Amino acid sequence: MKIEFWGQEFHVNMVVGCIGGFLIAIMSSMFGFGGGPFMVPLMTVALRLPMYLVVGSSLLAIFFNTSVSTMRHYQFGNFDLYFFLAMFPAAILGGYIAPQIAKRVSPLVVKRIACVGLILLALNLLGVY
Amino acid sequence: MKKRTGMVPWLFAAMVVLFCGSAAIGAEANAQAPALAAPTLTLDKTEINNGGTIKVSGQAPAGQPVFLEVWAADHTVRANRFDSEVDKDTGKRPYIFYITEEMPAYYKTFVPKELQPKIDAAKKEGKKWSYSALLKDLGADIAYSVPAKARTERYQSTLMASVIGSRGDQLPAMDEKENRKRSMQLVKARFQSIDKVVAAAVDVKPDGSYTADIKIREGLAPGKYKIVAVVDKKAKSEAATFENKIAFPIVYLENAGTSLNIFYPFVLSLCVAIFGVLMGAGGGFIMNPLLLALFPALPHTIVAGTVTPTVLFSQGSGIYNYSKIKFINWKLGCGIGTAMLLGGFIGPKLTEMITLDQFKFAFGWILIILAALMLWQTMPGYLARNKKEQSILKEFKKRAEEAAKGKK
Repeated sequence: MKIEFWGQEFHVNMVVGCIGGFLIAIMSSMFGFGGGPFMVPLMTVALRLPMYLVVGSSLLAIFFNTSVSTMRHYQFGNFDLYFFLAMFPAAILGGYIAPQIAKRVSPLVVKRIACVGLILLALNLLGVY
Repeated sequence: MKKRTGMVPWLFAAMVVLFCGSAAIGAEANAQAPALAAPTLTLDKTEINNGGTIKVSGQAPAGQPVFLEVWAADHTVRANRFDSEVDKDTGKRPYIFYITEEMPAYYKTFVPKELQPKIDAAKKEGKKWSYSALLKDLGADIAYSVPAKARTERYQSTLMASVIGSRGDQLPAMDEKENRKRSMQLVKARFQSIDKVVAAAVDVKPDGSYTADIKIREGLAPGKYKIVAVVDKKAKSEAATFENKIAFPIVYLENAGTSLNIFYPFVLSLCVAIFGVLMGAGGGFIMNPLLLALFPALPHTIVAGTVTPTVLFSQGSGIYNYSKIKFINWKLGCGIGTAMLLGGFIGPKLTEMITLDQFKFAFGWILIILAALMLWQTMPGYLARNKKEQSILKEFKKRAEEAAKGKK
């Protein structure tokens, strides 16, 4: 598929994109996360698209996934209103505070901390400790 | 005439004798299988605040073990289980999905203290323990009654049905015995660990009097709880009631079946949201496993189902911001989005079908992959390439912003 973005043309292999997107969507809706960190590498590495094209478009793609999976989770009765009301305002508030902090910390440090944190969480889930 | 009326008392007397005789025979028949007297049951208090200990005492027939069945009477939760284990008789996998909405939010059997070794032995089996076998082993199956009545539906799942995200065809309702058997599996699916459903706490004296300290843990459903003392299928005490009170900020989560301090998820969500933005990933990745690790009482379906809409908003606002400066390629986004739409339709169905342990296992590996991705992004090679990409990104964004401003 050919797409045009800010005066440049790109060739996108939609078969790879759709299969990858489909699998990521199953996984992310199953476990209840967005899927952005998997979508961005898929689009930049597998589809060889430049970063500036990917940031917005991947967000749009996962938005489809998240809205449908929200609907489905609600349908299956997996949604708890009070729990949601406790987390939702905090998530919005966090979205406003974060950019203020972002100017002062290096993304590299954050990513390294995240790396360690994720491994710890993963080991916890796998029951290692 | 007078003579005939004189006969009546005699007749009456004869009838009384006959009646008594038959009654005596009846009593003899009963004596062959002695009916145990129903135990008595008294509580030391009728109210606890978000958990606490209730002292139970009473009198049961001497020499009989006493079981206490305790359950939450005001709140029920959903329990579901996907049966994909090989059937011992037919050797086939049944693939039947069982679900009930009527599982008590709290259900526990307290057994005599002497039975502790049996519970410990069952714990050694690890996650493969069987609730029904444990109850039978303890002799506590006579006290198992409340979940057995929970109306359970079952669906025949097929691969095709799962692919389109359906539960499958509903099978005819089960009879009482089958319902009881399946409900035991659902009790395990819902409450997970042995400690949550069985405890050895009843102290029975040789004369039949008994005492027990019933510990109700924190974070359970509020409202009325009922206790019944059981020595036999037919010898049960009247149900005694006590109330578990919770007050703000502790809130009961109806679908999750647990109550918790509402500020905990708020603070947690705030921290995770900030960190998520900083590292450039949605908060869901960290939020889900953290919630599972910190609040083991929350079912994984509820965690996944409630975190998903939370990230929806930040995505929406992100799209809005990018679309304002025309930084989204709608064709590409919608194209891949359609494929993701299908995936998002199927995923939540699968959440329901897997157990908490499978959920944790899979999520653990996903997080390891994600950590590897993150690590790769901090490698010098990636950084050098990324620097170039980022500067192009900034350049384009600047142009886009200027273009958007210019139009206005």
